[in-house]
Amino acid sequence: MSLRALWIISHEKGEHASIRFSRRFATVELRAKRLSGSSYVAVPEDDCFLQLLLTELGLSGSKQAFVAQRDDCLYRPRSPALELHITAPVKGTLWPVLAISQAHLTLACLPLVDASPGQRPPLSSLLSESQGLSFLAGLQTFLLAPGSKQDGEGLVSRLALLPSVLLQVCPLGTPLELPLTGTLAMPSPITSAGIQKQPAWRTGLYRGRAVVNVSVVETVRSMQYGNRSRQDLWDVYGTVACKCEVEGVLPNVTVTLSLPPNGSPLQDILVHPCVTSLDSSVLTASSVEHWDGSAFSGPYKFPFSPPLEPFILCSYTSQVPVPPILGSYQLKEEESQLHVSVVLKLHESVKNSFEYCDAHLPFYNRDQMGVVEVKVSSGQLDVSKEKNLLVWALGQKFPKTREVTMEGKILFSGPEPGPSEPLCTGLTAYIKLYFKVPDTTLSGCSVDQHSVQVYSSAKPRIVTSRELHSKDYWIWNSTDV
Amino acid sequence: MASGLVEKVSAFCRSPSRFLFGTSSEVFLAELLRELRDDRANYTVKVLLLSPLCEYPALLCPSDSVGEETALELMSIFTQSPPKFVQFRSQLLVALTCVLTCSSDVSGRLRAFPDFLDLLLQLAQDTSDLHGDAAPRSLRATACDCLREMEALYPGLLSQRLELLGGLRHQETSRLHQAYAGLQALVLRNAVYQLTQEKEAGAARLRALLGGNESVECEADQNAGPASGKDSAPLSSVILGPMGTVPTLHTGPDCKELRSALSSLLEESYLFTPLSQAALLYRLTEVVAMVPAIPPTIFRAQLLRLLGTSEVTLLHTTLLMKSAFTDSLFSSEDEAFLFKRLVVLSQHPLLSTPEKLFYMDCILHFPENRPISCGDSDEALPVLLTPRLASALLPVVFNDSATLLSRFNLLSLVYLEAGEEEDGRGLEYLYEHLTSLLRIVESGGRRENVVTFFRAAFLFLFHFHHVERYCDNLSQQLCQLYLQHTRFAPHLINLADRTQEKLPDSSWALGLLKALQRVISETPISQTTLPDLRWHLKVLTRAAEEGEISQHGTLRFLSGIIPPSSSSLSSSGDWRLGNGILGVCRRLLVHPSLESMFIPLADILQHVAGHYGDTDIRDHARLYYTLLTTLSREKLATVLAHHAEGGQQVKKRTLSCLMTEGEGLTSILTIHETEVAIIRLIEADCEQLEAEDLVQDEAERGEPVLETYRAQFSSAAFASQVTLKFLLTHTETRDARFDQLFSIRLHFSLTDDHYSELQDLSVPCLFRERPPPVVTLTLKPREPYPSSLHVSAIFTTQDGLTWHTTLPDIRVCFQQIFLPLPAPPSWGRAGRQAVFAGLWEEMSSETGECASSLFCCQLEEKALSALVEKHFLPFLVSDPSHKDEFRALLFLPPQSHVLLKISSEEDAVHFRLATDNWELLPHINDYLLKITAS
Repeated sequence: MSLRALWIISHEKGEHASIRFSRRFATVELRAKRLSGSSYVAVPEDDCFLQLLLTELGLSGSKQAFVAQRDDCLYRPRSPALELHITAPVKGTLWPVLAISQAHLTLACLPLVDASPGQRPPLSSLLSESQGLSFLAGLQTFLLAPGSKQDGEGLVSRLALLPSVLLQVCPLGTPLELPLTGTLAMPSPITSAGIQKQPAWRTGLYRGRAVVNVSVVETVRSMQYGNRSRQDLWDVYGTVACKCEVEGVLPNVTVTLSLPPNGSPLQDILVHPCVTSLDSSVLTASSVEHWDGSAFSGPYKFPFSPPLEPFILCSYTSQVPVPPILGSYQLKEEESQLHVSVVLKLHESVKNSFEYCDAHLPFYNRDQMGVVEVKVSSGQLDVSKEKNLLVWALGQKFPKTREVTMEGKILFSGPEPGPSEPLCTGLTAYIKLYFKVPDTTLSGCSVDQHSVQVYSSAKPRIVTSRELHSKDYWIWNSTDV
Repeated sequence: MASGLVEKVSAFCRSPSRFLFGTSSEVFLAELLRELRDDRANYTVKVLLLSPLCEYPALLCPSDSVGEETALELMSIFTQSPPKFVQFRSQLLVALTCVLTCSSDVSGRLRAFPDFLDLLLQLAQDTSDLHGDAAPRSLRATACDCLREMEALYPGLLSQRLELLGGLRHQETSRLHQAYAGLQALVLRNAVYQLTQEKEAGAARLRALLGGNESVECEADQNAGPASGKDSAPLSSVILGPMGTVPTLHTGPDCKELRSALSSLLEESYLFTPLSQAALLYRLTEVVAMVPAIPPTIFRAQLLRLLGTSEVTLLHTTLLMKSAFTDSLFSSEDEAFLFKRLVVLSQHPLLSTPEKLFYMDCILHFPENRPISCGDSDEALPVLLTPRLASALLPVVFNDSATLLSRFNLLSLVYLEAGEEEDGRGLEYLYEHLTSLLRIVESGGRRENVVTFFRAAFLFLFHFHHVERYCDNLSQQLCQLYLQHTRFAPHLINLADRTQEKLPDSSWALGLLKALQRVISETPISQTTLPDLRWHLKVLTRAAEEGEISQHGTLRFLSGIIPPSSSSLSSSGDWRLGNGILGVCRRLLVHPSLESMFIPLADILQHVAGHYGDTDIRDHARLYYTLLTTLSREKLATVLAHHAEGGQQVKKRTLSCLMTEGEGLTSILTIHETEVAIIRLIEADCEQLEAEDLVQDEAERGEPVLETYRAQFSSAAFASQVTLKFLLTHTETRDARFDQLFSIRLHFSLTDDHYSELQDLSVPCLFRERPPPVVTLTLKPREPYPSSLHVSAIFTTQDGLTWHTTLPDIRVCFQQIFLPLPAPPSWGRAGRQAVFAGLWEEMSSETGECASSLFCCQLEEKALSALVEKHFLPFLVSDPSHKDEFRALLFLPPQSHVLLKISSEEDAVHFRLATDNWELLPHINDYLLKITAS
């Protein structure tokens, strides 16, 4: 449950890599040494570690086509625990190195393996593994949290705070809690709270009028092929975010999610650890087995004691019968021109009031666009010839028919080749949709203001909201390629 | 000062070895401590200065004595630091913990250890910090963390304090109760574990520990317990071992105290942060596993909350409970539910990729209630994972490569288990998926896509190599891919190598190589570019390694590219290309079907020897031609055998592997690195410097002695060297290869800048059975400080290989730099005494670098004489028979002196010191401490 060392590395796709912060935990290292006896492998110095890690992550030597150490086809279940092969001063294998990356930042740590020497236990039997993963994820959120300053500077100032943050959250290599994000402020002083024990995750006391803010955000993903041989796919998942400003050491709040009659049940529900108790029926529905119609479909009650900062109370997935926007995309190569035909239909159950709705049509592996003769039945078309991209802004509303079309021809006669993408050769092409609909959810899931219960003396102010947006919403060309 | 030190600290932490190359750890440590003691220094900076001590305590305090001193120093800094600097004080506690635990070797604990433990316990109970300042994290919490770490290092250290810790946790209502709980849980687990290791330990002992009613026996224990130096190693997890190996404590049904301690911890577990909560639950799982009288159902109330959690570490704890208790906590419905949950989590859109991969790993190692697969195979499919359930985890091309591969692996296992070899839809899906990856690679995928495709291909072959229709098709597709992108040759060769290695019974690799050879030999030469050709030759070389592959196609191809008329390729005289051709030929020379290829191969070699554009290639082709035409098959095979073993290796190499990228050549040209130290230098018992018999003295000198003495130093080489003698011997590691070493060249590198660079030294040979050779090392100090030297050596072994090895560092001790007064040889005692007196007078003035000091200790008169005799005789300036005051002069090259007046006073022996280099004082002090202590 302890970490031997921690590294924070920044790089640009493997280039200009540098260790921005590292910390070794000497006492944990000593434990590692005593636990593993003769098979002990010491943590190498930073430079050496960096090289080994980049190689293992496949980030080093990007100019060379084949590096045996990096590109061997022998499958090793790598992620999330890597193996680093040290050659000097003593040969050995450093395992399990956990690494997570986001953008230009890679965080890595080496958890202590508290098993008897010799045997390598499965990853799943080491609690330090999941602890390491959570801890790294928490650090990542802390380091990359949006701040008032510019990106680079924000990171620098947070890195500078890290030594004192670590003294709080992981003084001797055993992670105790995650660093607080949001503001850069330290948690408030420790106060005695009377008879009731204060939760370790509640960093202070709130004083003032009680305000509870609950928002349900649903995301829809889709992959539409318009083709009989391949089934169209779509899925919906939602999160319920809360911000509760309530007095008391361990205040009680209950939020209830409800579905419309005949709504399909919420599945795969995950709850925040501050939820005090759960009814087992809440967890029964799952997306990996077929719903037999008898499953529990709400209302879903979540009693909890909120932390001070905003948090995700719960998340779920849902199976909706149809995608909100059904698209058809057809391309035909006619001599040197490409004939484009698009139809997008908004399903009648979806509220026709968007914050925005844009369709992007990129064209890869072709010369730049020359002549573009494309007409749309609604909205505006923006042509970016350098990027070989059509952006179709549909605006706030679909027309009454709930159907929009695009028809036209594109001549790729530009002077230079456009962008390339190995997936989209020939007529393989896609439309990507970006949209956001306020005050609605696809699953119908909602939180009624009156269903939020706060056990406090004063009457609380309760704000609820809903929204739907798209992510990875693809419509592929359905003409035979 | 401070900012310079901060930079030094960051340089040190970046690379301690490089940093210590320029200075020594003692100097750096002294610098750090000085700044830490300085009251005027900024406390935020001081926090940073502690980090080297926290991260590399063993490096800065390499011995018990240094550790001890540093710890005492830090403790005094702690007591003197104002309470308001909580962060500094907390970091100081952390540093102290590190120094006290890591600087001592395994055998014993430092003397300051019990004091520090008391300090921590005292701090942990000090609740006065509540009311004062607004510190974010109290010292108390840090003290608890330090205690926990010490308990983890020395299990049982605090087991007598369980009652106290339980009480502290109970009373605490602020957030700090978490720190107490973590500590209590660990101490409890260690205490229970220790009871399981004792015979006849039972309910009574357990109750006593938990504070029911303390028995006398325990009192006795307490005294012998923590303070005594008996060390136990840190414990590994008790529930991690194979089933049934959990140590148990038989208590009978009566263990109320333990049960109530556990329930109270469990009840509050909800109040802890997920990380601490998971750790607590894990510790309690261990305890319950060790005490059969406590039913695992004690966890039941927490389960539902844990099963629904979004926190990876809490769900993981649940899985570990499942693994420890199986059906005594989880019914089969629970099990099915938990398993489904894992499948859900391993593809949940809201979880991060590493978390999903982790859950996938958990699926493969799911602890089933009734495991069917016996044994300890690495990955076994749980029965619960049906193809239908697994279909949620089908790989798609949009997955990142790690996810894609682990899904591919998982699904392969599922379909293999389901017997999908014949017209299974699942297998078909996997193959289609592989093909779509191939399409991406074909149309110019990135390097990552390429690597992922080949890994997926390997996985497919590994699991389904017996399903011919797919594997044959894959071979064909790979050949087409190769023709389009010859740069994938190394990937294909690697794939062939690996399948051959992992699937010795399968002939797939052979088939692939055969097919590749065919497509290459069928390619029209006119359409081949130079880079293509190089890759073709690489593939053909690999194909020629296979005795079962007929090589006529290869020969056809070679003869096709040789004649200059057909292409301009070979006439260009490209050396690398020529080597490529010769590489294939060399493999053909040892091919079993050489007989049938004799004439075409000879033709090719002859042609290359005569017409190739590069002389070197022509020469080597001629050599091969000669070998082919003059040697019998057997001889040829022996000469060219590339896995030469044993004695005559050298000769074979010179004959054969001259130009191909063969293994032999690289091996003889490479300097090999030894894995461990083979040889070392040990100090030779140097003959004691004798006190010279002095010329019985000449008359009073007219000239001023001091000036005459100093005048000698005008020659730079005068008395500037120290000579050390070492024996070069083997280390304990026995390795017959290294019994006889030749042409050993020793290289010394400095770890600081106190000495001038050293020359390499040569030793002709070192045999294990012969007496060790003496190595004389001449040091030229710039500053007369102790130091250590890195030593490495290059040598040759009997089989002709060259090795590089690192020797253990050698230490240059302070006393090794002492020389007697370098007075002119004609001088007698009087002259020396005059120099002593003159120097003493100068130094006592304490101007410039001069300093004087006094060192006292208790010694009997006899012991003092013996001490002087043993350590100072060569340096004595006074008459040794004058026992009331000894005068010794230590000369330290290049130009430093330490003067000693040693006399017995009534209370103690006084060593009065004077030196013209005040920086020597700490070293001389250490030296005196050492010699007077023994």
